[in-house]
Amino acid sequence: MRSRQWIWIASSMAAFFAVLATAPFSSAQSEPPQAAAKSSTASAPGPKRDLTGVWQLQGGDGGAQPIAEDKDMPPMTPWAKVKFDTQKPGYGLRGAAGGNDPILQCDPIGFPRIMLMPTPNELLQVPGRTIQFWEREHEWRTIWTDGRPLPTDPDPAWFGYSIGHWESDDTFVVESMGFNDKTWLGPTGYPHSEDMRVVERYRRVDHDTIAYDMTITDPKAYTKPVVTPHRIMKLKPNEEISEQPCVWSQENEFAQRIRNPATPQQK
Amino acid sequence: MKLRAAVFTVLVVGFFLTCGPVRAHHGNSAYDESHWITISGTVTEFVWSNPHCQIFMDVKDDKGKVVNWAIESQSPGIMRRNSWSRTSLQPGDQITVTLAPAKNGAPVGFSGNADGKVVFSDGRILKMSNR
Repeated sequence: MRSRQWIWIASSMAAFFAVLATAPFSSAQSEPPQAAAKSSTASAPGPKRDLTGVWQLQGGDGGAQPIAEDKDMPPMTPWAKVKFDTQKPGYGLRGAAGGNDPILQCDPIGFPRIMLMPTPNELLQVPGRTIQFWEREHEWRTIWTDGRPLPTDPDPAWFGYSIGHWESDDTFVVESMGFNDKTWLGPTGYPHSEDMRVVERYRRVDHDTIAYDMTITDPKAYTKPVVTPHRIMKLKPNEEISEQPCVWSQENEFAQRIRNPATPQQK
Repeated sequence: MKLRAAVFTVLVVGFFLTCGPVRAHHGNSAYDESHWITISGTVTEFVWSNPHCQIFMDVKDDKGKVVNWAIESQSPGIMRRNSWSRTSLQPGDQITVTLAPAKNGAPVGFSGNADGKVVFSDGRILKMSNR
């Protein structure tokens, strides 16, 4: 009997760890214990065709999240590889202290990178448009919902040009283009070109939950689309968007007092 | 006994399998997030500011020499959601901080994720991130 018990325990533990080890994203997306103050409607269906509210991306261990795991990034084109090699990130497999991440000099973080920050965003719907506010950089974008098409030749922009439509009562699809190529896709330094197009899907799974997915198509930079991992946003009804602008004087003081002393001398 | 050894192996291997991937890709490369340390001392300054709030504190090293540590935390918005305010720390407060130290050996550290925390002299604990 004893040996059977041990076999049972061993196989259970093996299965448990196998699930945990192969699902880092699902474990990272679990609701933090401090956010347990859920409304009684948390798991009820959400309102139809309505994403209004303050939303917090889950996961990331308190920090910015990579656009996708390195192993899940599609092959880069030679054009993108050259750009990639010049971009020295502070995070990820190529991460090194210092580096040349453009946000360290207060360049706009841009879209889609701003979606992967640990600070919330707020969605507001008004006739003909949905407005998305981000705490990070105190920034915003208009998602046009009046039926207009994407522009044919937009000026390249940090946050691009976005249109949206309801694919069903619970799924809002946003298409964006018109980006400049100065931003990184995330803290691990992946590049993109001005040809980048992004499709986002916001599916309201229940009252307090959006399942958030993104696909990036950029044939100048990647041989296949970048499909981001499934992510979850949680409704935060009691929270407000505060301001987090990038202020050069503050960034500079932070660099002098924290970042530079922690950075090894560049050889 | 072989089975017990097998269970032990599963437990140990499982532990490292589950810890590794979650932690591996999020850290700022300047800090050694594989070796968290705890320091105690006296607050000299608390900067409530973007991009990240900062704690400065005097800590005696093992030779009795006072070293001023600089500690990176999170943005005021994130700190506020974790029960901090701009008056949470005052110069003179005695605190104990768990942080990831700078790899270059400078008295600088990062306390802004779920592994970091500040313990106040009355036993209260505040973290800077709940994820």
